[in-house]
Amino acid sequence: MAQITLKGITKVFGHDVVAVDNIDLEIGDGEFMVLLGPSGCGKSTTLRMIAGLEEVTSGELMIDGKRMNDVDPADRDLAIVFQNYALYPHMTVSANLAFGLRLRKVERDEVERRINKTAAMLGIEELLARRPKELSGGQQQRVALGRALVRNPVAFLFDEPLSNLDAKLRAAMRTELIKIHRELGATIVHVTHDQVEAMTMGERMCIMRDGRIVQVGEPLEVYRNPADTFVAGFLASPPMNLLKARLLGRAGELEIDLAGTGIAIPPARHGSLESYRDKAVVFGVRPEDLHAEPAPGRVPLDVKVVTVEALGPEVVLIASLADDQELAARLNRGFSAPVGSDFRLYADLEMMHLFDPTSETAIAEG
Amino acid sequence: MLTAPGLAALMLVITFPLVFAFFTSFYDYTLLHPYHDDFIALENYQEAWEEEYLGGSLWVTVKFVLASVVIEFAIGFSVALALNKVNRFKTIYYLILLAPLLINPVVVGLLWRMLLHTELGIVNYVIGLFGIRSVNWLGDAKVAFWTVVLVDIWHQVSFMAILLLAGLAALPREPYEAARMDGASAFRCFIHITLPLMRPVIMVALLLRLIFAIKTFDIIFIMTKGGPGTATDLISYFIYRAAFFGLDIGRASAMSVGLLVIVLLLTTYLYRYMRSLR
Repeated sequence: MAQITLKGITKVFGHDVVAVDNIDLEIGDGEFMVLLGPSGCGKSTTLRMIAGLEEVTSGELMIDGKRMNDVDPADRDLAIVFQNYALYPHMTVSANLAFGLRLRKVERDEVERRINKTAAMLGIEELLARRPKELSGGQQQRVALGRALVRNPVAFLFDEPLSNLDAKLRAAMRTELIKIHRELGATIVHVTHDQVEAMTMGERMCIMRDGRIVQVGEPLEVYRNPADTFVAGFLASPPMNLLKARLLGRAGELEIDLAGTGIAIPPARHGSLESYRDKAVVFGVRPEDLHAEPAPGRVPLDVKVVTVEALGPEVVLIASLADDQELAARLNRGFSAPVGSDFRLYADLEMMHLFDPTSETAIAEG
Repeated sequence: MLTAPGLAALMLVITFPLVFAFFTSFYDYTLLHPYHDDFIALENYQEAWEEEYLGGSLWVTVKFVLASVVIEFAIGFSVALALNKVNRFKTIYYLILLAPLLINPVVVGLLWRMLLHTELGIVNYVIGLFGIRSVNWLGDAKVAFWTVVLVDIWHQVSFMAILLLAGLAALPREPYEAARMDGASAFRCFIHITLPLMRPVIMVALLLRLIFAIKTFDIIFIMTKGGPGTATDLISYFIYRAAFFGLDIGRASAMSVGLLVIVLLLTTYLYRYMRSLR
């Protein structure tokens, strides 16, 4: 098992295309780390640099304290699972699994033993004699995973391995990967653009944007305290409502002016907000922190109903504020209201976020 | 309706000669007696088969086809593998590669006949600079065969290279990356990934060249006329001689039909193979 350390890692393609820009990241021994971000954010390039498939332009890549920048991919003892599986098309499943072991001069009996063990673990025993094109997408995915597992590497690298599967299979494989991680206790770096995968699978997640790391942390911690409006808008669906607002108030008082509605901020939370007095801020509130019923600690917001989307287990209400800014609220499934009618939502004051409109970063409270 | 003129033209220039040759192959039709009035059934075929020199010509053809296709494949694949790694000046390499293919085979034959001329050719002049004695490229029975093979390779090798290069360029990248992670050397990648993945393209390239090589006529006609002796007497030239020196159109037609059947069999196999790839 291995600890992977990235120090000031940068990747430049050609002369001036910066794919990864000076990132630092520490992936602990046995940790399940998810690299999350929209396409083109540099997460796959980062993974490929760890694998050794891309050269590191500058910075230092360490595995278990040893510098790996110039070490051949084969000698890093990592295994990668690709998005489109990359099975050897003309070899049987069994030969696909055996290929890496044979090249490493593993003894014949041992190869067979490991193949059987891996096949049993993934439930692909009856596929061993088939060729990749005779397998379904989900089966190919399992074989690709098996090819990584059978090698018994120091760490696993997953490059969006679930994104070609249909929703149901994806959910099943998600659970399976978590299970495998628990059984093997292996270090896993998992790249994805799917925030559900990141939330459910990762012990920690690293959110990237434009080649930089925006935030690293445990999924729920990142969910609760997004570092900036990008993270706030990227995690969860529907994402956090980000609304233009102003901070107003006389000395000793501070309130958020959201489309004419004043939301008083308790003095205990003033702290660093003082410097934003009379300035614009971004007001963030998650759809699930907006309610249809009043309760202590909730502040009223007057809105007009735009649409009501009944999803089954819940209802998503899209509503507009007095200044026409739209927001979404997740309400109980019993909710209904005529389109165009006036309605009063109640926002959880505890769950409000404020961001700087220029830097887009969260304003630390207190 | 709109295809009618095109179809008519095709009938005239392709179907008619084909049917005419087939029809003629059953008659005693010579240029001294150019009439379809003496039906002799399969006698032309039998005569052709018993012809003393046919076996020799077939053997020369087989040698020629094998030598040129195998060497073209070896060179073409090497060139394609090398070019597949090149990124800069790719267009220039393509242009240079394509140049011989753009030249008419007759011109190729004329060009090389001049270049290889025993006294006046530039090839003998150049090797003379290195102290090598002049070679009678087209006049020596042992040398002439390989000269013709080499000229054919010079002319056709780019066809092989371009076809294989296109195949290489279309190969997926991921299996190679997986193999790199698995620790496979470049040689093993070639054996275990490139060759198996390229198999369909290789088969098509070989079959196409095989079919073309069997029909080779132009460079023989221009450079050696089948000689010296029968050293370069390919079957297509053999048939030509039967028709226009032997004046026996019926027998030449019979042999043409035989050649056509061989080419058709190969083509059918190629067609089947390509269909099986889908």
